[in-house]
Amino acid sequence: MPEPSTPRDLRLDFFRGVALIFIFVDHIPENFLSYFTLEAFGFFDAAEVFIFISGFTAALVYGRRLVEKGAVYATAQVLRRAWQLYVAHVFLFVIFIAEVSYTVTTFKNPMYNEEMRVADFLGEPHVAVVQALLLQFQPTFLDILPLYILMLVIFPVVLLSMRRHPLLLLLPSAVLYVAVQLLGMAVPAYPEGHVWYFNPLAWQFLFISAALLGYAQTVGWRHIPLPRAIRRVLYPAAAVIFAAACLIKLSWTIHGVWEPFPGLFLKQLWPINKSNLSPLRLVPFYALVVLVATLLSREARFLRGATARPLVLCGQQSLEIFCLSIVLSLLAHFILTEYGASVPMQLAVNVAGIAIMCLTAWMIAWYKAVDRMPALHAAAAARQSSDGIAE
Amino acid sequence: MNRRGLLRAAATVGLAFFGAPPARAEHECEVPPEMMQVAVKLPHLAARLRAHEPVNIVAIGGASTTGTAAGSPDLAYPHRLQLALAKLFPDAPITVVNKGVPRQSTRQMVGRFATDVTPEDPILVVWETGISDAVRGIEVDEFTSALQAGIDDIKNRSIDILLVDMQFSRSTATVIDFERYLTALHRVAEVNEVYAFPRYEMMRYWSEQNVFNFDEVAADERARLAARVYDCIGHQLAHAIGLAVQ
Repeated sequence: MPEPSTPRDLRLDFFRGVALIFIFVDHIPENFLSYFTLEAFGFFDAAEVFIFISGFTAALVYGRRLVEKGAVYATAQVLRRAWQLYVAHVFLFVIFIAEVSYTVTTFKNPMYNEEMRVADFLGEPHVAVVQALLLQFQPTFLDILPLYILMLVIFPVVLLSMRRHPLLLLLPSAVLYVAVQLLGMAVPAYPEGHVWYFNPLAWQFLFISAALLGYAQTVGWRHIPLPRAIRRVLYPAAAVIFAAACLIKLSWTIHGVWEPFPGLFLKQLWPINKSNLSPLRLVPFYALVVLVATLLSREARFLRGATARPLVLCGQQSLEIFCLSIVLSLLAHFILTEYGASVPMQLAVNVAGIAIMCLTAWMIAWYKAVDRMPALHAAAAARQSSDGIAE
Repeated sequence: MNRRGLLRAAATVGLAFFGAPPARAEHECEVPPEMMQVAVKLPHLAARLRAHEPVNIVAIGGASTTGTAAGSPDLAYPHRLQLALAKLFPDAPITVVNKGVPRQSTRQMVGRFATDVTPEDPILVVWETGISDAVRGIEVDEFTSALQAGIDDIKNRSIDILLVDMQFSRSTATVIDFERYLTALHRVAEVNEVYAFPRYEMMRYWSEQNVFNFDEVAADERARLAARVYDCIGHQLAHAIGLAVQ
């Protein structure tokens, strides 16, 4: 998403980078480092962060295109991005097939022979591959990109209705979300009996509400029109909600490791539905958004510092780094099950994976910067300075 | 890692400290005592056993309940469980009925309760599940809600229930993420105060201690290996049930 004209909100890149690292760590089964990700102390996880920031930035970038260059151009650009995501999804699918076919053909365990049917779809490739191309076949880990692609495909309509009136968009979106919570509709997937893991009918609300916030910033609505009374309680309420949710979830995590520690409200609140984005996930997440937006200024110096730099770079190259993180977590899982999962080994695999992600992000950023060099020189001459790699 | 992971670590440390467990001629598949903690009771079964009345148990599950890999239903774990229970409780006639059907999801098994479980008039249901859900990548939320529906169904009929979690295999674990399903199954059990038999952790322990090697077996040895493992599972399960009716 090239955006050289205004200073970029590095908070978006930073937290998207953090989410990508968490996605990598959480996708490795039985990984002790996952005790230190959002999942351990939040009712939500990196998926919410990823979808929220994606919706927000989509509105920032394409909202500006809409204002500057009109609806047709903005639509073309959104669809081009959706196409890139689609290609990435198909690429990941091919890797998945390679991995499964290899494992299944080298499989000898007698007690699992009958049940080891992950590769059933290889028996009907004419159906499975077509279903994958239609985004209807979503093996584990290959479920969040289809949601993102679908959201981008409908995004031109989202943009145009936002321009008309925000409520024109927010109301139907919220009604649909509430309907899913009450009625539990889902979108069927392949093979029969499966549904979209990230139920788009529910998750659209997160994406669209985030887009609305992003659009508000683009067109310079100074403040979201909220009565002062609500404004005054918003931050304290967010702090209380988030802290309470953290406390409860943390108690569950500790309880999971050490049984005598009580899991607070475990019987009342568990399980919390992720497919349908339960309000128990959504509300504390938005509380966190309010807190971060209040407490961390977009000018914060630390965002430009060396510590934040690798994460910011990962967040800026999010599609490439996301695909890489999926491949790396599969690889890490393989290494840990084949060569032992001792704590030092786990640590080594995690550190190596994160280092590879950061290095790759740095290389891509470097390459893109060099690629853009002449333009940058011209711009620098005109404007005298430019800030960081604007991607 | 989670509670099961810690348990495993504790077991390994325990072994290192005390040396190998005393060899018992009785069974090749001892497990560390931490793995056999049973905090939940089976009140209906306990009452039956105290009264020395006939006991019917239904084992519902997937391919590892059917036991085809061992070659005969007599070698499957439900039958081994029946034999082991008969030794533990000689005064009550105990029957374990095998209702395994391969490759069914948890939801499909719940659909089978009305025809396969209730007509047998059991006092205990042993529900072995989760493998197909994990292998087929059924959503964990859906797996959880199906488990809950099944447990409610059985409990509402005043029948005791216990869960048996998945089988361990290193080569399977490489492509399938069992952890989320294991965590969900054990948490459902806890929330409902139902015992979950840690088959996965046990088999992993045996695999790591080289009691069994599940992944490199000569073709003609496979059925015999399966039979030995099913026998161990039946034996340990009987032991756990014994603790739950004390």
